[in-house]
Amino acid sequence: MKLVGVLCVLAGWVVAVAGLFLSSAHAVRLLIACAGIGISLYGSLGILNGYFLERAIWKR
Amino acid sequence: METITHREDGMRFQQKTTLLLFALGVMGVLGAATPLRAEQIQGADAVVAGVPSPKSDDIAAKGDPGAEQTGTINDVTVADSKKGLTLADVANQAGQNKIAINFVWTLVTGFLVMFMQAGFALVETGLIRAKNANHTMMMNFMVYGLGLFAYWVCGFAIQMGGAAPIANLGGTFPLNHEHVVNLFGKPWGLFGTKGFFLHGATYDVGVMVLFLFQMVFMDTAATIVTGGCAERWKYSAFCVSSIFIGALTYPLFGNWAWGGGWLSQLGANFGLGHGYCDFAGSGVVHAVGGLTAMAVAMQLGPRIGKYNRDGSPNVIPGHDLAFVLTGCFILAFGWFGFNPGSTLGASGNGCLRIGSIAVNTMLAGCTGSLSALLYMWMRYGKPDASMAGNGLLAGLVAITAPSGFVNTLSACIIGWVAGILVCLGVEFFDRVAKVDDPVGAISVHGVNGLWGVLSVGLFADGRSNYGGSWNGVNGNVTGLFYGDAGQLVAQLIGIATLVGVIFTLSFVFNWLVDVVVGQRVSAKVELAGLDIPEMGALCYPDFQLKASDYGAASSGGVPVAASAKY
Repeated sequence: MKLVGVLCVLAGWVVAVAGLFLSSAHAVRLLIACAGIGISLYGSLGILNGYFLERAIWKR
Repeated sequence: METITHREDGMRFQQKTTLLLFALGVMGVLGAATPLRAEQIQGADAVVAGVPSPKSDDIAAKGDPGAEQTGTINDVTVADSKKGLTLADVANQAGQNKIAINFVWTLVTGFLVMFMQAGFALVETGLIRAKNANHTMMMNFMVYGLGLFAYWVCGFAIQMGGAAPIANLGGTFPLNHEHVVNLFGKPWGLFGTKGFFLHGATYDVGVMVLFLFQMVFMDTAATIVTGGCAERWKYSAFCVSSIFIGALTYPLFGNWAWGGGWLSQLGANFGLGHGYCDFAGSGVVHAVGGLTAMAVAMQLGPRIGKYNRDGSPNVIPGHDLAFVLTGCFILAFGWFGFNPGSTLGASGNGCLRIGSIAVNTMLAGCTGSLSALLYMWMRYGKPDASMAGNGLLAGLVAITAPSGFVNTLSACIIGWVAGILVCLGVEFFDRVAKVDDPVGAISVHGVNGLWGVLSVGLFADGRSNYGGSWNGVNGNVTGLFYGDAGQLVAQLIGIATLVGVIFTLSFVFNWLVDVVVGQRVSAKVELAGLDIPEMGALCYPDFQLKASDYGAASSGGVPVAASAKY
């Protein structure tokens, strides 16, 4: 699960940068960059943090 | 150039004025973007003669209380004593004076930033329990040495090895090689390759000044992590992790933003404003530190007693609020080095904006502390001291990137938003994400570092470019509210890189550290306090520690005033 989270975080960056090549319109690039940031945040705070929360010390 | 001749005493004032105007003209020429060589100045070998000069005997006898005879034509270095003082001598002196002003400015502001380590040490130690004070202090103390060493070995080269020329510091020409790959028809600068161990041609006066200034910035990023991971981080794991951030994580992003790397070239290569702009490091320094703190804190898990079985958080109050607020003041003082110093000079290339940058810094810190204070007061009924301090720091973090590009009204807004964001951030990480951050480092530096980066793309007012072109794009840095949406996109790509790449790097490396060294101390050590088991000595040996200090009391980072509501 950790690996999935890490890959998801990286994928967000790839999406944001790919947007630069997909369109030359600032509005489109802006939206794609925001989507990329969202994916990265989901990977870090959602997947990775979720993994650690499942094994949290107060649950043992 | 005609020779200035000595005539009458009555003419002396006129002659002095003429020479002064002439010298100022020469300085103006030297301050222009393209420096002139001595042979390009017409009549460079023309002799400057007949200018009255003070007699050393007079000064020896009477002194110079009015400072009228100190710093005169006598102090201009003459290259050829047989020829006497020439125009080339005056021009060389003017050029050296400009660089000297910039060297001194950059060094002194670097010293201020170095002193911020003391501020961080006090803030972090004040916000944790007395039983861990030695451990936290020693992390803040040794991160300086560990980071510095790693940065000298390879960090500086990776970051600034291809950053030349930096005109304000005389060119720094030995830093002249950036490793670039061509991808999809665009050049992507990835890392510098000159300056490992500062040997060879990088044994250069300008490079040394740049190294010192950049090194203390790196150390600021590294010390942010220690706060977020306090009270349960193995000292050995901290040492390894700090070396990594100084050697690779920080320098890599620093290169992409400041060293001529791909983020800085987004404007030139993709038409996005002036590329990623981060004047003094909201992203490069604070977001890198804050996101690394998040990566490590997530892996460490919360302190024992931070959360109840149902997942509700407890407050673990710090042991010394006086430490915290004194530390905040020291940090605010050091920030006058951080932001205005990032011009890398006080003479030429728009550097006179240092006053504007300093005022922006001051205002954002002020509004940050004010909005945090009001938020806490209205929400929890008390003006919380630690969050007022964190609000000040949040405002300062947020204004760090835009400080060189915005006006005072924008600085106030940026600081005000930062103060609210830090309160919301602390609540989010504490209650929702349940990432235990004893000092609020993730919210102060991570969240507000990203806000600072974003705010450049919104508030940059298009009135500054520091010498004609920022990141190789002519014109002024302009944000969305002043007409350039492309700049906002560049800033968002920077944020995506911080969250996507830098976080990942930090996470993966510290994951490896966890496997090899182990990141977290044992429960027994944590309950006893890290001072004796990890460091071998108590910070306060004469104190009588209460029984509750050893048990599962409550949790921290979160404002004390908020505890009543949990």
